[in-house]
Amino acid sequence: MDLPADVWVQALINGFTLSWIYILMALGLAFIMSIARILQLAHGEVYMIGAYIVFYLTTAFGLNIYLALPLSMIIMAVFGIFMEKFIFRRFQNQLLAPIIASMGITMILTNVAIVSFGLYTRSVPRIADGSFQVFGGSFPKDRVIVTAITVFLLLMVTLFLKKFKSGQAMVAISQNREGAMLAGINPVQVSRLAFIIACALAAAGGGLTGAILNVSPFMGTPPLVKGIVIIVLGGLGSLPGAVVGGMILGLLDGILPIMFDPLVAALSPLILVVIFLLFRPQGLFGHE
Amino acid sequence: MNSKRIISLFSIIALVIFLFAVPTLISNYYWLSVLSLVLINILLVSSVRTVILIGHLSLGQVGFAAVGAYGAALLAMEAGLPFWAALISGGLMAGLLAMALGYPFLKVKGMYFAILTLLAAESIRNVAFFWASLTGGFLGLTNIPVPEPIVIAGRVLMDFSRVDNYIYIVLAVVLVSLFILYKLEHSHLNTRWSAIRDSEELARSSGINVSWYKILNFAIAGFFAGISGALFAFFQHNISADAVSRFGALTSMYMLIYLVVGGERKFAGPILGTFFIMLFSEFTRPFKEYQLMLIGTFTVVFVIFIPEGLTSLPGMLKLLYRKTFKTKVIKG
Repeated sequence: MDLPADVWVQALINGFTLSWIYILMALGLAFIMSIARILQLAHGEVYMIGAYIVFYLTTAFGLNIYLALPLSMIIMAVFGIFMEKFIFRRFQNQLLAPIIASMGITMILTNVAIVSFGLYTRSVPRIADGSFQVFGGSFPKDRVIVTAITVFLLLMVTLFLKKFKSGQAMVAISQNREGAMLAGINPVQVSRLAFIIACALAAAGGGLTGAILNVSPFMGTPPLVKGIVIIVLGGLGSLPGAVVGGMILGLLDGILPIMFDPLVAALSPLILVVIFLLFRPQGLFGHE
Repeated sequence: MNSKRIISLFSIIALVIFLFAVPTLISNYYWLSVLSLVLINILLVSSVRTVILIGHLSLGQVGFAAVGAYGAALLAMEAGLPFWAALISGGLMAGLLAMALGYPFLKVKGMYFAILTLLAAESIRNVAFFWASLTGGFLGLTNIPVPEPIVIAGRVLMDFSRVDNYIYIVLAVVLVSLFILYKLEHSHLNTRWSAIRDSEELARSSGINVSWYKILNFAIAGFFAGISGALFAFFQHNISADAVSRFGALTSMYMLIYLVVGGERKFAGPILGTFFIMLFSEFTRPFKEYQLMLIGTFTVVFVIFIPEGLTSLPGMLKLLYRKTFKTKVIKG
C-alpha cells in the first residue's frame, strides 16, 4: 500500500478507540446473556438513549461532559432496574419472548428519541481539541481521553468482579447457576446487578461515542452488532475474551476499509465468526 | 374419501376462490399494495417458523430474502431470465447460501444461533450495500422488469405492470409455498425435525442424521425466504439495502413480532399475526411519529399477557369457559 504512514496511524487510533467502546457494549451484553440468560436486543438503544442524555445535559444545561457522563450512566442504570423488574424477570431462560419484548423496547426507545430530538444527527461538545505529539506521531486528544475513560471503566468492572462479594456472586451465577443458588446466592438480585452494570456501561459507551462522532436515533444498531461479534469471537462470558475479541475487531475496523474496499470490511466479521465456529467453537478464551 | 375430507376439500377450494376474488372486490391500489405486502410477509414469517420446527430461532431470514430479491432481480435484468425462472433461482440461491451457512451455524444453540443469524443478515445487507458495481450500492437496483404478460393467441390476457394484477402472482406463489410448507410439516420429515427439537441426543441415538436434517430445514426456510424476497423485488420494482430499508434489521424484528403475536406453535400463527399487526399498523398510521411507540408498547404488553399468541386464544377461552361454568357441576 502506498499510503502515508500518517493515515495508517490515524486509522489504527480510530479503530482502537471505537473498539474500546464496543468492548463496553460487548461486556454488558455478555453479562445479561450469561447471568439473566436472555438475549437483550435493546442494548443498542440503551446506548443511544445514554448518548442523548449526555447530549441533552451538555447542550441544554451546559453541564461539563465529565459530570454529564456519570449522570447519564446513573439514569440508564435506574432504567435497567426497571426493565429487569417489570419486563425481563418473567422471561428468564426463555428464548423467543425476551427477544420480542426487547424489540418492543427498541421501538419505544427509538421512537422516544425521534419524537423528542428529531431525526437529525446531533453532536455533543468535543471533550478536547488538538492532539498530543508523541514519538513524532500525533494522537488526537479526544480519542486518547475516551480510550482512557473506557479502560478505566473496564478496570473498575474487573476489580468489582474479582474483589467484591457481589461481583463474585455474578461470576458464580454465570458459571453454575444451580451450584451458586445452593451456596445461597439470590439469582434475582444478581441479574438485577447485571442489568445495572450493563446499562451503565452502554450509556457510557453511547456518551463517549457522541463526544467523538455524533448522536442519532439509529446509532444503536452498529455497536449492538459489533458487541455480538465480539462476544462470539471472545468466547461467551469471558472478560479477557471480550477484550481481545474487541481489539481484533477494532483493528480490522480501522485497517480493512483502507486496505480493501468496504465490501471486504463489511464481510470480515461474518467470515471471522464462521472460521471460529468451524475450528474453535468455544471462542478465544471460552469454556463452553 | 370420507365425507369429512370432502367437506374440508370443498371449503379449501372455496377459500382459494374467495382469496382470488378479493383483489377485484377491493380494487383500491393502496389496499391492494398493503395486501400484497401482507402476503409476502406471511411467507417470510412462515420461513422463520419453519426454523422453529427444529427448535432454533433465526433472526436472519431477512438476509436470505435480500439474497433472493437481489438474485432474482439481477438475473431478470442482466441475464434476461423470464420472471418465473428468476423467481425460482432467487429462492434457490438463498437456499444454497442457507445450506452453506447452516453447517457452521447449526453447531450452536439457543440465543447464540439467533445472534449468528442476525449477524449473517446484517453482513448480507452490507454486501448488497457496498458491492456497488453489481447491486448499485447506495441507490440500489431500479427498473426491475415487469413479469411477462399472459398472452393467448396474440392477445394480452393479463399484464402485470401494476399491483392490481401482480397481486394474483403473489397470491398464487404464496399459496403454493404455504401448501408445500404445510405438507412438509405433516410429513415424515417433520417427525424427524420434532425429534431433533425435543432432544438432539435422543434423535441421534435413534439413527437420525441430526446435522443433515437441521441443515435441510434451514435450507428450506432460506429457500422460501428467498422466494418472498424475490416477490418483493418484483413488487417494488426497485430495491435498496441501506440500514432502514426492507432488508434492514428492523424488518427481522417485525417478522418475529408477527410470528409471536400469531403464535409460533400453530401453522396459522404467521398468517394471523401478520394480518393482525399489519392492519394494526395501518390503522395507527394517523398517530404518525408515535406509531412505532404504539406498536412497541402493544408488543411488550401482548407478550407478557398472551405469550402463546393469537392462535392460543380459542384454547384459553375454552379453559376460561370451563372454569367459570363447569366447575360447579364437578363440585356438586
